[in-house]
Amino acid sequence: MGYWDHVWLGIVAVFTANPVFEIFGLPIGTTLVMVAAGFALGIVVGATPGLAGPMAMAIALPILISIFGVRESALLPVLGFLIGIMKGATLGGAVPAILFNTPGTPDAMLTAYDGYPLAQRGLARKALKTAHFASASGDTFSDLVLFSSAPVLAIAVERFLDLPEKTGLIILSLSFIAALVGRSPAKGLISAGLGLLVAYVGKGEDFYPRLSFGQEALNDGFPIVTVVLGVLILGEAFKSMEALIRGGPEASTQAKIAEATDNRFGFAELRACWRYIRTSAVIGTAIGALPGIGSTLAATLGYAAGRRDWARRNPGKPGFGTGRIEGVAATEAANSAVSGANLIPVLSLGIPGNAAAVFLILAMESIGGFNPGPSVFKLHGGVTGEVANPELVVVFGIFAAMMLANLLNWSCGGLFMRWVGVLVHVPKQLLLPVVLLLTLTAIYVQLTSLTAIYMTLGFGLLGYVMRRLDMSVLPFVIAFILARNLEDTARQAFAATGGDALFLLHSPLALAFTLTAGLVVVLAIRRARMADHEPLDRGH
Amino acid sequence: MSKFDKGALFLGLAFLLFAILVVFVWVPLDTESGLLQKVRRRWLIGDALAPSVAGLMIAVGACAQIFEGVTGAQRRQCAGQHIPTPAGGLTSANLGFALCALLVLLASFQIMRWFGPAAVALLGEQFGIEASYRALRDTVPWKYLGYVAGGFVLILASVVAVERRLSLRALLLAILAPLVIAMLYDLPFDDLLLPPNGDL
Repeated sequence: MGYWDHVWLGIVAVFTANPVFEIFGLPIGTTLVMVAAGFALGIVVGATPGLAGPMAMAIALPILISIFGVRESALLPVLGFLIGIMKGATLGGAVPAILFNTPGTPDAMLTAYDGYPLAQRGLARKALKTAHFASASGDTFSDLVLFSSAPVLAIAVERFLDLPEKTGLIILSLSFIAALVGRSPAKGLISAGLGLLVAYVGKGEDFYPRLSFGQEALNDGFPIVTVVLGVLILGEAFKSMEALIRGGPEASTQAKIAEATDNRFGFAELRACWRYIRTSAVIGTAIGALPGIGSTLAATLGYAAGRRDWARRNPGKPGFGTGRIEGVAATEAANSAVSGANLIPVLSLGIPGNAAAVFLILAMESIGGFNPGPSVFKLHGGVTGEVANPELVVVFGIFAAMMLANLLNWSCGGLFMRWVGVLVHVPKQLLLPVVLLLTLTAIYVQLTSLTAIYMTLGFGLLGYVMRRLDMSVLPFVIAFILARNLEDTARQAFAATGGDALFLLHSPLALAFTLTAGLVVVLAIRRARMADHEPLDRGH
Repeated sequence: MSKFDKGALFLGLAFLLFAILVVFVWVPLDTESGLLQKVRRRWLIGDALAPSVAGLMIAVGACAQIFEGVTGAQRRQCAGQHIPTPAGGLTSANLGFALCALLVLLASFQIMRWFGPAAVALLGEQFGIEASYRALRDTVPWKYLGYVAGGFVLILASVVAVERRLSLRALLLAILAPLVIAMLYDLPFDDLLLPPNGDL
């Protein structure tokens, strides 16, 4: 079967497979409904301070698996829902930042720099419309880059990389994530090393389970759900709870500001913002395609580039940070452009780039039938090659789901975004304990064991301690996910080269990857040292 | 002013010690095969190699951290801008909070674990029930008792800790939220078990 046959099958799987209901005789597929539901939930979650996209994805996953089971037909509805949350949460994140200067994420803080002053001048609706337009533009651009580059990259990987080179590539990705995520490369390396170590507890190749201290509960290692949810979600919940306890309960009173007369986002505004959206979308996409580098850096670079450009073109006028819609557009386009591009390493290499991608991989692993990596882009399935490759159909189904979410974003995302502003008033101290209970319940219903809960609490504590030490948890989680892949590829490469201990050094590409991995770490440590010398008042 | 950045130095040393223990004590004692092993006259990678590489990675990070600790503060002193490192820090207050949070959570889940069986043991006779909790764990209201009781403690303790007072709002939330979550999981799905019913 050809390329376009797979594209068509993917689209059909999203739009019409397993119809939930019909509109004028047209079947509406389960995945379509799930993408829409996920997108709506994502906006709600993004607009609620204290919640975040990954948190909602973590809670939703076991419920989704209970509904759809762990069969192949569950993949697209579940992934569609999670993709919907991912996209909706990015959009919703701008709401509290603009309306109440309470950004839920660091990148939304940059949106607040210009969005909140606009809201204070009665231009909240204009700021929200700008954020929506910029976010949808950045997101769509990023998705188009994903659709065109992921297959090319995957085919190149499959054609040119053998086992030693693949081992080198995973080492390079790990060192990249360890060295560049967070402020200290040293702590990034420690974090990634800990993630690898935790992943190697339990089953190896031998009969005796390694590093288990003889504990039966550890024979199969730590369940991925307990590690990922513990470190990512519980760790964050502990930190937020502590901040609330030390800072006191949140006040939820906000003064009502009269709306200005001109709250439109028309052609003049579009013309003013387009230049910044274009630049930020490219920056966000480029940053998003690199594993581990998240939306915060993209938003920072997009905002900084926009601010410089604006100051150069408008000398003497009040710049970004004083309530300019161009500032909102630059930030929102950059951070939204990360989400699509982040799936480039996921789909083409099987390497997750951020927390949302971790949950997509978690869903793929929990359900089975889809192993992200270069092999999913193989055109032919079956013995004769006449059968469609089901994994490639899923890939195009994912692409179709992403485009569907974009359509929803363009058509009704802005309207929905303005409705959910009321959620900002839900006090965090009431929300967090409920989220905590919900997350732990979600883990229990999936693993049906209190031991799993205690493991999760342990990893939650680890996540909290790491955060307090300013040690990024993302290298830990990504290393944990890549660990088995790294070990299996290395074992196979070692065996295939006849027990050559230097297999990484004999192939030019593998050698290049390995040397680059070392170089990335050395340069990152050097850069961190130089950053220490820089003056502190860099402004925002 | 101290010559070194003590926090960064201590953190690096602690992780270096941990890495040494991993590579030279834990891995050799708790794995069956070595770094490499010979199976049917072929050399293969053993189970100890991957955890040793992980330990090595921690050691490299720890050495870089020590390096930061030794040189970082000196440089800042030279530049006349002695500032705390972004290391943040784990204070005794942080540890105290973590311990309290963990105790509350563990207590909540212990209540969740034992409340149902205890209720059956105490009240079963009055309701004319002779069966054990295990036999009742899929029947209303018994199957919800532990979950709702444990959830109540978890939520109430957390809200009271932040608000520093017991409010009606907190009480209502602590009663309603576990009930709603229980319904969310239990009503639509026959095959899901709420905590602690899968363990009993």
